[in-house]
Amino acid sequence: MIACCAEKTYAGTTIADLVSRGSVSRTTFYKLFTDKRDCFDAAVTLCIERLAATLAAGADGCDSPAEATRRGAAAGLELLAAEPELTLVLSGDVLGVDPTLVDRYSRMLVPALERLWGQAGVPPRKHSSPGLAFGRAQLLVFHEVAAGRPERLPALAPNIVYLAIFPFAGHEEALRQAQLAKDEPGVEVPA
Amino acid sequence: VTRPTASIGALPRGRHGLPREEVIRSQRERLLAAAARVCAERGYDGTTVARILAEAGVGRESFYELFEDRRACVLEAHQVLLDNLIELVRVAYAGPGEWVDRCRATIAALLEWFAADPLSGRFLLVSLAAIGPEFHERFEAGFDRFVAVIDSGLDPELPASELLPATSLAVGAAISRVYGEVAAGRGAELPTLVPSLTYEVLVPFLGEDAAKAAAFAETPHAGRLPGEVRGG
Repeated sequence: MIACCAEKTYAGTTIADLVSRGSVSRTTFYKLFTDKRDCFDAAVTLCIERLAATLAAGADGCDSPAEATRRGAAAGLELLAAEPELTLVLSGDVLGVDPTLVDRYSRMLVPALERLWGQAGVPPRKHSSPGLAFGRAQLLVFHEVAAGRPERLPALAPNIVYLAIFPFAGHEEALRQAQLAKDEPGVEVPA
Repeated sequence: VTRPTASIGALPRGRHGLPREEVIRSQRERLLAAAARVCAERGYDGTTVARILAEAGVGRESFYELFEDRRACVLEAHQVLLDNLIELVRVAYAGPGEWVDRCRATIAALLEWFAADPLSGRFLLVSLAAIGPEFHERFEAGFDRFVAVIDSGLDPELPASELLPATSLAVGAAISRVYGEVAAGRGAELPTLVPSLTYEVLVPFLGEDAAKAAAFAETPHAGRLPGEVRGG
């Protein structure tokens, strides 16, 4: 599904494409999914789970929520850069198929960030929302992918780190972490 | 013959003595407005030429004299709306006062525009994503034009940040906030967000304290500035 959408967009993808690419029979397809949209939703969920796992792995073993956010963001961007198909579907097709899906993946990713800071006793500050920060980060990622430059995603790390930390720790700390992210070498993507 | 469902300046039938250019201009405007409305209500997939014609009260032949197809009409409607909004932002930003006052007035004007016509807002930001890569490109170009407008009027006293592009962060803050509210169907309440969005927009330029002071200060300038807010 992901490969088909990246190649010919969701609208251009047929069940025939899916069964041929997936090497399964039509009968098997309909045992697993009710229709094309159902299959798309399942594919998007898988992509987000993969992204969430990458963020968590990147953040593992860090001393502070700021460092965890910074390393998680860098690992996430590496994954998105390494898998342009996944990124294209998450940032482009999803909006076309159903803009409310963006809400769904913000609900899957943002609580993890809030937990990370919540455990350290830092709730989101007044007048800033992690959910909005997520939307802004997505906009930046979309900007690079839509321009056909997925390989440049890791260079967004300072911006994404700033956006993710700002709602909790404020401008000055977010800027400090963004500077650190800029100076850090790339993070390996877990297989 | 389809009757116009809305009379957005529909011309009288029969002999009305108007010059042909004016008739064409009126038809074009009605078709663009209709395309935006139908698309916002039904999504791009549900937008057929027949529905645009019914909404605009224009005949099929006139439509095809003006536009190649549904896609061309919808994309042009989008372009016209985006141009209007960018012009509104440019005028508000060029208004009187200190730079922070001009920023606040610009944000107020932007939010008023989306609140005054939530359907147009929905069309501008949400409905066309289904078109795919071409919409992505237009979205990109629109984003860059907003950044250019804001950059062209920056206060020269502002500290320059080499690390982060403050203007992109500020424009991104405004677009994501508006997008979120419009997509959730809360466009009409956007003007209540002037203070918090002003804070979000100013903070990358000014830092915490100055941004808070400028956004939430209970001065006569805070919030909407009468006469500087333009809707629709």
